[in-house]
Amino acid sequence: MSAFYPDSAAANGLALCHACGRVERVTLARCPRCDARLHLRNPASLQRTLALTFSAILLYFPANMLPILKVESISGAQANTIVGGVIQFWQSADYPVAIIIFTASVMIPILKIIALLWLCLAARLGRHPLAMTRLYRITELVGRWSMVDVFVVAILVAVVQLGSVISIHPGPAALSFASVVILTMLAAISFDPRLIWDAAAQGEAPHA
Amino acid sequence: MRPSGSSKHLACPDCDALFEAPVLKEGEQVLCPQCHALLFHYRRNSLHRASALTIAAGFLFLVANFFPFMTLRAGYRENQMVLSQSVSGLEAQGSPYLGAAVAIFTLVAPTLIIGGLIYLLLPLVASSRRLPGSIPLCRWVYRMRRWNMVEVFLLGALVSLLKLGKLATLTLGISFWAFVGLIICLTAALASIDYRELWARLENAQR
Repeated sequence: MSAFYPDSAAANGLALCHACGRVERVTLARCPRCDARLHLRNPASLQRTLALTFSAILLYFPANMLPILKVESISGAQANTIVGGVIQFWQSADYPVAIIIFTASVMIPILKIIALLWLCLAARLGRHPLAMTRLYRITELVGRWSMVDVFVVAILVAVVQLGSVISIHPGPAALSFASVVILTMLAAISFDPRLIWDAAAQGEAPHA
Repeated sequence: MRPSGSSKHLACPDCDALFEAPVLKEGEQVLCPQCHALLFHYRRNSLHRASALTIAAGFLFLVANFFPFMTLRAGYRENQMVLSQSVSGLEAQGSPYLGAAVAIFTLVAPTLIIGGLIYLLLPLVASSRRLPGSIPLCRWVYRMRRWNMVEVFLLGALVSLLKLGKLATLTLGISFWAFVGLIICLTAALASIDYRELWARLENAQR
């Protein structure tokens, strides 16, 4: 990443403090106001983002194949996967809930993983920086809503303690799924969208 | 004119465009000229407003944690749930890590943000002072903001209501409504903070 846009802070030897927003000479190493480390770009941004995203992809399989919730009642034991829960809501005509769970637990994680990989590619190719920066902002904003299924499990386990009548236990997928959400959030935090603009500047520079 | 830091330049965190800080009037926003990111929104008295909302959020958070959240009735049995049981319940069922994650997202992060903001804002608003440790605390509050998931938890509570509604009778407790209020106040507080003003005033505050 040697090329910067001429009117960027980095090209002028200036770094934006990621903690307090002050613009300072990067040679200071630490922000004089809040003592955070100064970097032109997030350190090892693409490596970290890719490593975290691939870990999330690996954990996505147990998160979807194992049960997230185990219900034991008089009518027998029942184990639900995430998709199984969506289907159950759909069959009992609870369409809004089915759509909420499907969006938060199935669609957002998959789209977020694809978006992260795409962003890493964009940071190399530098095409469409404006659209890619917008994609980054959306990715950062929506990721947390995937946690809703984990909270549903936590609340159901807490509220249903009726002894022999019915009991609810968290399944192994709950932890995997929470990890997927946390890892993709960390990946989005590690990603530095300014790299897309650097790559775009490199593409525009004659024979860079 | 807004109180400004010593630096007269702004840089966009999303695209690194460097430009001179414009002088803003009430209600005006700064958008990045290159990537159109919303960088700052200048409102007069943003820190006064934020501190009032944060204190309200703090009260509601206490109410939300010490009163029943939901009550479940099935036959003759009745079970009251308080908020902290969403953590201890997972722990009792052999999922301590999951319990810890839920604790961080719904208890630790909001406590740190609300407590931290009160510690930062009240001395600043009342007498332009800052208490010891304010600078690292402000960094932590800013960093924790995306791990605070109270609104996602509320959506989870609504889904749980619909899921259990057919098996048993669920009633919502005082804590549930306090929790709704908490989300409104905390979201409004975080949205009204102008971090540029906050940092500039922290920097210039008396110790």
